[in-house]
Order: sequence, then C-alpha cells, then structure tokens
Amino acid sequence: MITFERVTKRYPGGTIAVSELDLEIPTGQTTVLVGPSGCGKTTTLRMINRLIDPTSGRILLDGTDVQRTNPAQLRRGIGYVIQQAGLFPHRTVQDNIATVPMLTGWTKQKARARARELMDLVGLDAQMARRYPHQLSGGQQQRVGVARALAADPPVLLMDEPFSAVDPIVRATLQDELLRLQGELHKTVVLVTHDIEEAIKVGDQVAIFRPGGHLVQVDSPKRLLAVPADGYVEDFLGFDRGIRRLSFLPASSLDLDASALAGQQTSATAALAQARRAGAAWLLVIDAERLPLGWVTVSQLEAAPGETTLADVPLTSGHGHTFAVDTDSLRAALDATVLSSTGQAVGVDGDGRVVGLTSYDRLRAAIQQADEDARAEEVARGVGAAPDVGAAPAVEGAATS
Amino acid sequence: MSWAFSNASLLAHLTGQNAYLALVPVLVGLAVSLPLGVLCARFGWLYPPVLGLISVLYALPGLALFVVLIAYTGLSDTTVMIPMGVYSLAAIFPSVVDGLRSVPEPVRQAAVAMGFGTWRRLVMVELPIAVPVVIAGLRVAAVSSISLVSVGGLIGIGGLGYLFIDGEQRNFTTEIVVGIILIIILSLVTDTVLVLLRRVLTPWQRGRGRISRRADIRAELAARPAGM
Repeated sequence: MITFERVTKRYPGGTIAVSELDLEIPTGQTTVLVGPSGCGKTTTLRMINRLIDPTSGRILLDGTDVQRTNPAQLRRGIGYVIQQAGLFPHRTVQDNIATVPMLTGWTKQKARARARELMDLVGLDAQMARRYPHQLSGGQQQRVGVARALAADPPVLLMDEPFSAVDPIVRATLQDELLRLQGELHKTVVLVTHDIEEAIKVGDQVAIFRPGGHLVQVDSPKRLLAVPADGYVEDFLGFDRGIRRLSFLPASSLDLDASALAGQQTSATAALAQARRAGAAWLLVIDAERLPLGWVTVSQLEAAPGETTLADVPLTSGHGHTFAVDTDSLRAALDATVLSSTGQAVGVDGDGRVVGLTSYDRLRAAIQQADEDARAEEVARGVGAAPDVGAAPAVEGAATS
Repeated sequence: MSWAFSNASLLAHLTGQNAYLALVPVLVGLAVSLPLGVLCARFGWLYPPVLGLISVLYALPGLALFVVLIAYTGLSDTTVMIPMGVYSLAAIFPSVVDGLRSVPEPVRQAAVAMGFGTWRRLVMVELPIAVPVVIAGLRVAAVSSISLVSVGGLIGIGGLGYLFIDGEQRNFTTEIVVGIILIIILSLVTDTVLVLLRRVLTPWQRGRGRISRRADIRAELAARPAGM
C-alpha cells in the first residue's frame, strides 16, 4: 500500500505541481494516474521513488515514510519504466535487464540467468539477449524496459507514460501484455498516462487529476464511467462514455430471446405459426448443431409452399456478427445489434452455438437493470442519495472510496 | 630515399622522440580533462569560465611559451611538453563535457531511478556513453600535438622538427620532405590506434544508423505475424 497524506509539491517560483493530495494506492493492483499535462500526475509518481521530494505531507510505502529511507536503496526496490524506455545504449539487452540485480550484488552469471527468464516473461526472443538497444524496434525496447524494471522482483512498479512513444497497434499489444503480466505477478503498479482509454483499459483504479495538481476522482473504471464526480471528469472521459461503460457490463446480464429460433428441418407452415406466436418479423434459422445460418422473413414464409422445410427457403441475409454471451460485454452485444440488418444480434456460447437473440429493447432493459444495481450499491456504500447516472454530483476532490 | 635509409637510426630516434614529446602531454591532458570535465558537466556554471581560461592558454603562441618556460624548466623536454599539454587540454576538455552531455536525459533518469549512486552512475553509465565523443577529441589533440611538437626544433627539442631546421640550414629539401612524410605517418598510425581503441571500447556503436533502421523494420515484420 502506498499512501499519500496531504502531499503538496511547490516549485521555487510558486508553481504548485501537486496540491494537498490524499490518495491510497492498494497493494497488488494497478492504479492509473490520468490527466492533461501540468496536472501533477508525473510529479506524484516521481515522489514515490524520491526522484522528486514533496514540499509538505508524507508518502508512506507499506507504512514507512519514504523521506526517511536511503534513496538509492528505496529505488532498487521499485521498478521504473519511462516513455522512451531509457535503455543503456552501451549495454546488451541482457545486461540492461540485469542492471538492478548486478547493483544489488548478484553474480554476473545469476543476474544474466534472471535476465533470460524475464525476456521470456515479457515475450522477447532469447536471441535478442546479446543485441544492443538500437538494434531493437520501439515496442521491443519498451519490453526490455519493463523486463529491466521487474528484474529484481520489486513489489512496486512505477510506469511513466510507458506506451505513449510507440505506434497505436504496438501500444494496444503492450497494454494487453501488461494486463497479462499483472495477472501473473500482482505487483503494485502505478501508471501515469494522459490517455483516458488506456487508463480505463489497464487500471483497477483510476485517479483523475485536474491542472494545478488537484485530484478530482478516484474510482474503478466502471464506476468512473457510470458516475463521474463532476463536469470536468465527464468531459475528460469523452463523449461516448455511455457506450464505453457498457464494456464493464457482461453480456450474460441480457435476457435473451429464444422464441424466434427455428431448426432447418422445420416446415414453412410451422415456422410461420411460430413467428406469429412470437410476434417476430424475422426468424433465425439454425442447423442441427444450433449453429446460426441466417434470417428468413415472415413474408418469405407466407409465400413458401407449406410442406417445404426451412432448408429449402433461401435465406434473406446472413446471421451477421455474433457475440459470446459468457465472455463478451454489453458493448459487443450492442455493436452486433447495430451491425445487424434485422436489429437483432445473435448470442452464442463458447462453441458458437446459438443461445438466443437480443434487441435494442432487451439491451435497454439490461442497462436499466445495471443502473438500478449501481444505485443500490451506492446506497449500500452509504454515500447517501444515489446520484443519477449521467448527472454531475459534486463529489469534489475526494478519494471517497 | 637513399638519404633516408642511410640515416635510418637517426630518423627512428627522432620519430620516437616526436611521439614521446607529443603523446605524453596528450595523456596528461586527458587525465586533467576527465575530472575537470566531470565537474563542469555536473556544475554547468563552471564550464564557461574554465573553457574561457583554457581557450586563452590555447591562443598563446607556442614559441612565446617556450621562451617563458625556458626561464623555469630550461632546455628540457618539459619545456616543450607543457605547451603541448595545454593544447591537448583545449581539445580534450570540451569533448569530455560534450560527451557527458550527450548522455540522453531518459538514460540518466533511468539510471537514477534504478538506484545508481552519483559515482557509479558516472563510471558505469555516463563515461562509457561519453567514450565516442571523448575519443574524437583525443584524436584531434593527438594529431595536432604530433605536428606542433616540431616547433620545438627551434629550441633543439622538436623530434622530427629537427629535420626542418637542419634541412633549411643546409638547403637540403629531401630532409624536409622526409620529415613531413614521417610526421604524416606517425599521425596516421596514432589516429588508427585511437580509432581501433574506440571500436574496442564501444561495441554498441557498431552498425548504428542505416543498418539499425533496417533491423527495426525486420524486427517489426518478424514480430507482427507472431502477434506482437
């Protein structure tokens, strides 16, 4: 646990980088500090390993005031990753990674063996061990940077805009890799970024800063999107936070409709009766394995001779995009619905077999249910009057959580 | 040519003396430049006055320095070597400062954040990265010192410079030409040694530039299908 207690950093000349910061960074989770430039997020990060010392207030690392520690000792126990990787150009990849173990007195052999382990962990080919940093791509350099930070197995990992210098495709992969690594290692990660998408993707907890070094809101990404503390946070989250928030709601919360599914062997007459019973304009035709085939319309069924089976009726359109009920989010379900020609999307299980259909009405019902659950949770948290989703309650400047 | 062969032992002696008189001051200049450069790189305000002082010394004509120094050190090697040392300092000292300043800020920052103390950071990170720039300064100092030493011939201590004075007095051009050729050879050999030294000290510099960009592209291409 890293605790900031009323921490202020004022530079000579009067600029206030961080103002009266109270923040708790829980052990084993990823906390993202996010905000525009000049909001004090990087200063906050650098005060943890004493690259910058606060003007007032205390920073406790597992209960110990970092101001009372030897900076070099402290830093060897805290991994640090920066934007341009900052690799030592004169050292090979393996020796870059082995830096901190060597500093703490490991033998060269042991440190290099550890470096090989880490290369494997971060997905670097063992052949690269003897290369120099300039022979690597930007993404590979950043992986070496992460491996180097993890070499001495520090419990804390600080990352200062680690992915902002690489192109978007590599960035997305590195973010996924961080999530994977964190799933294995459970470090206390503090990551600074100006990219709210990145914050929401990799953070267990997101702290939003405002220029002048004020912390505005600390919350889980899901809650942040649902209940932004004020207009600033809402603006910062971007225009489509309503849609993005659906990423955190599971598709399994949907009440799927199975009444408009018809097997290939169903006769046109029976299918027509089924469609009328269900009040559906479309039926989804499935095969014997329950794999989706495509859609037929009621008018097609009316035109078809009664004894023909659905296998003989030409499908009007393909089944479109599907979503996985157990693993996808409401966002994926909504996307599939938007893309569907029938306004309905096909939910499938892990093997691609149809579970049921969703529609805009069913999506809306699931979202409303999620909102009600969130309000109930608010009340249970004792926050008091549950704020409306989308409204801007004045929960100013507080690490209320 | 036959003159050169019949005087081979004299020429060898003069070449050796020239190398000694020129290169020992370069080493002394390096030894002084390193701590001075480290100080000036760390405390930026020191650099302009120190550089100014060294530049003034560099501007003093060698002959004038000899005359002044003879009063103190007599007609000894030292009299020639002191000005050579001052000139070397003027070439090497700025290169030490530039070399240390060439260490990229993220690299320096990463070193601090990983728990390098000031001293270890200097020895293990900053100086190794400064090597190419420092050796560039060393090459300039060595080559110019080798040719400047010949001025010492005017006071009888000038290595190959002796050949110029003697050749001029005897109106014997061959001697002068041989002297010039030997100075050029000595310079080239010294320079080559320094280039080789740089290669040995900086294996990480090999193949920078064009090749590394190609490696970048190769790496990206190789990585993509594997799901980088």
